[in-house]
Order: sequence, then C-alpha cells, then structure tokens
Amino acid sequence: MESGETTRNGRSTGENGSATLGKRVDQVSHTAEQAWSKTRDAISSVDVKGRVRRNPYGSMAAAVGIGYVLGGGIFTPLTARIVGLGLRFGMRLALLPLLKQELFELAEGFGGEEVSESSKPRRVSKTTTTDENKGR
Amino acid sequence: MEMTERLEDTARELGERVRPQIENAKRRLSSMNESMTDYIKENPGKCLVGALAVGYLIGKLASRRG
Repeated sequence: MESGETTRNGRSTGENGSATLGKRVDQVSHTAEQAWSKTRDAISSVDVKGRVRRNPYGSMAAAVGIGYVLGGGIFTPLTARIVGLGLRFGMRLALLPLLKQELFELAEGFGGEEVSESSKPRRVSKTTTTDENKGR
Repeated sequence: MEMTERLEDTARELGERVRPQIENAKRRLSSMNESMTDYIKENPGKCLVGALAVGYLIGKLASRRG
C-alpha cells in the first residue's frame, strides 16, 4: 500500500489523497487515450470510408442491421416475419425453376408415352367394343 | 379488322403519351440515386451513424411491440 495517512476505513486523507486521485485521473486518461487510438487503428484497418465509397447502399444497410440488432430487435415477431418472407421468396426463386424443369420433363415423358401407346390401346378397345357389339 | 386497327392505334397513342413520363421518372430516379450516393460518399461517418441510429430505433420499437 501507499505510504501516507489513512483513516480506519482505509481512505487516504489530505495531500496524499489528492495525489492518488490525480494518479487515478492520469491512469484513466491514459487508458482512454489508448482505447481511442486502438479504435482508430481498428477503424482505419477496416477501411470504412473505402467500403462506403465502393458500396454505399450496402454499407448503409449493414449499419441499419447492426443498429437493429443493438436495439434488441433480433428475437421479435418482426424479425420472424422478415426472415419468413425472405425464406419464402428465396425458396420460390430457387425452387421454381427446378420444379418447372421437372414438370416439363414429366409432362414430356408422359405425353410421349401417351402418344406412342395411345394408338395401340384405342385400336384394341375399338375392336373389343365392336366384338362386344357383335356378341350382343 | 377495323377493331384491331383501332385498338392498335389507341395502344400506340397511349404508349406515346406515357413514354415521356416514364423517361422523365427514370431520369429523376437516376439523378436522385446519383445525388444520394454522392452525399453518402462525401459524408460516410454521418450516414453510417444515422443508419445505425435508425436501425437502433427500429429494433427498439420492434422489441417493445414484441
């Protein structure tokens, strides 16, 4: 511990107290300066200005998203709605072409079979019907 | 035949009337887009802080309602 007069509760008194207070203020200002310089370095390493210049709307959207998360809006019904809508839209965009292709292939296959086979059974059915009619 | 010709004429007239308005709207939108991007590029800090604040407010409102 520091040398100086202290009361029973451990608090320093007089000049020593003001000196320790001054030291603490110095420490706090020093750590604040360090934190500021570190954040400046971090910001300059991220190159925010360059990113904003390259993609202004994207960076604005990212900032809005970060603010939204910081504001506590992540586990809310609004987020659920937005995510649900996005998923639906994305699924439609991704699945519709695939489904279309599958359906076309299926229809082509089905149509081809029907065309090739439709001629034979119809003739058979016609003959059977005529035979049945003859039998009657 | 006359009906189809009439319909074609009216469609053409409508197109000619609407086309300049659409062009004007396009020009306005593109100029707005340019001015907005220029402003964002000139003041990135302001815009980022504003966007963060807007997002924060929306998040707060959403969390309150939820």
